[in-house]
Amino acid sequence: MAATFFGEVVKAPCRAGTEDQEEEEDERRETAEDREVRRQLARKREVRLFRRQTKTSLEVSLLEKYPCSKFIIAIGNNAVAFLSSFVMNSGVWEEVGCAKLWNEWCRTTDTVHLSPTDAFCVFYHLKSNPSVLLCQCSCYVAEDQQYQWLDKVFGSCPRKNMQVTVLTCRHVTDYKTAESTSSLHSPFLKALKTENFKEPPCCSLLEQPNIVHDLPAAVLSYCQVWKIPAILYLCYTDVMKLDLITVGAFKPVLSSRSLKGLVKNIPQSTEILKKLMTTNEIQSNIYT
Amino acid sequence: MASRYDRAITVFSPDGHLFQVEYAQEAVKKGSTAVGIRGTDIVVLGVEKKSVAKLQDERTVRKICALDDHVCMAFAGLTADARVVIKRARVECQSHKLTVEDPVTVEYITRFIATLKQKYTQSNGRRPFGISALIVGFDDDGIPRLYQTDPSGTYHAWKANAIGRSAKTVQEFLEKNYTEDAIANDNEAIKLAIRALLEVVQSGGKNVELAIIRRNQPLKMFSAKEIELQVAEIEKEKEEAEKKKSKKTT
Repeated sequence: MAATFFGEVVKAPCRAGTEDQEEEEDERRETAEDREVRRQLARKREVRLFRRQTKTSLEVSLLEKYPCSKFIIAIGNNAVAFLSSFVMNSGVWEEVGCAKLWNEWCRTTDTVHLSPTDAFCVFYHLKSNPSVLLCQCSCYVAEDQQYQWLDKVFGSCPRKNMQVTVLTCRHVTDYKTAESTSSLHSPFLKALKTENFKEPPCCSLLEQPNIVHDLPAAVLSYCQVWKIPAILYLCYTDVMKLDLITVGAFKPVLSSRSLKGLVKNIPQSTEILKKLMTTNEIQSNIYT
Repeated sequence: MASRYDRAITVFSPDGHLFQVEYAQEAVKKGSTAVGIRGTDIVVLGVEKKSVAKLQDERTVRKICALDDHVCMAFAGLTADARVVIKRARVECQSHKLTVEDPVTVEYITRFIATLKQKYTQSNGRRPFGISALIVGFDDDGIPRLYQTDPSGTYHAWKANAIGRSAKTVQEFLEKNYTEDAIANDNEAIKLAIRALLEVVQSGGKNVELAIIRRNQPLKMFSAKEIELQVAEIEKEKEEAEKKKSKKTT
């Protein structure tokens, strides 16, 4: 207790440590209610992998059930649109799994009945060559969910004889450079690869001190630790929403070994892309 | 470092940046593309029309606005900011006419808009205008003018320029293709503006809006049909150029 100038008595915190401290510790100890809330939150944020057709969840990791030699992952709407129009329009792709997850960035509050239009991860393999696996991830995977996602997809002991290619976008203002950002010609592509990836990349490597964030970083780190050859193609753009020019910036990747054999019909791809643009246009009157 | 100096407009960072002004320039890039071309006897403004919602009246979504009979402007960026700037500019045009009995010069009204924008980069409690503008017109001396302003309050005269999304791509196209031949006559200047826009417009000619001012004539907005005709002509010329090229190689 302490007295102020005006004579009022106030409770002042004591650094010496008195019996008051025990009361505070009791308050800080977790109650059963706290534990229950924490359990419910963990259940809500669980990453679930299942087959949409049969509605059954996968007992093993995806790559254990569907081993592959090429794994292409698109993260973000522009990368997903690129794969949809340039890669998935040639050949027949079969859906082999779907990852359902919820976090604060999701637009829906219902975590059980996610509709097909809700953004999440879908996995496909090429029917004519099942060793090629593709992932379209248009949802945000939070930091605490990344480990679960990697565990459910790659498993705890992944094969080393596969090549992973990741495509994603980032806003150009995140790109650190000595030049001024107004002189940068965006969108532009940068690459970051693991030690075991020996092929030459399709664009220049990402310079220091730039870093990669979120799920692409988690995938690359995982591949580096497990010595899997992996490369990330990161497109820096000033338009984060679905945009024809940003998607077009990924075109150099079509000449890479992973994608070369998969792309057949480029003019048709441009048409498919234009259709995707018009169906996905969100009305906003703030900017004209 | 940026986060400590980017909250207040009136604070410089240690390396001399005014981050709010730079962020306002990012807001401009969110608007659709606008291109301006200064010809010999014509000035052309072309914009990428934003797709309008089904139930929305198209007339209320205009990127090209007349400031006076002989001056007009196109903008890119925040719609509401543009409305405020256009209103102030229009009032100033009439006030000038009443005070000095002469219509404004294009440079005068550009300087007015630029000064207004600069004031908002130096005031407490206000943010900069999030728009860039292309102002075109003819002065009394009959010379065509094209000016561009940006959120920092600077303005420059240009022969041809573009603002908004993908402006860099259009600027590169203009640098390569703006020649004396390309603006030799009015029709060529109009075609150059449409070709520049088609480089970045996502669904072709039907998303392009065009306005021209000819010497001693009022602003003319092109109808959708007129633009279609121009686009068809451009495509024909492209095909012929490609045929010639393939003949040369064989």
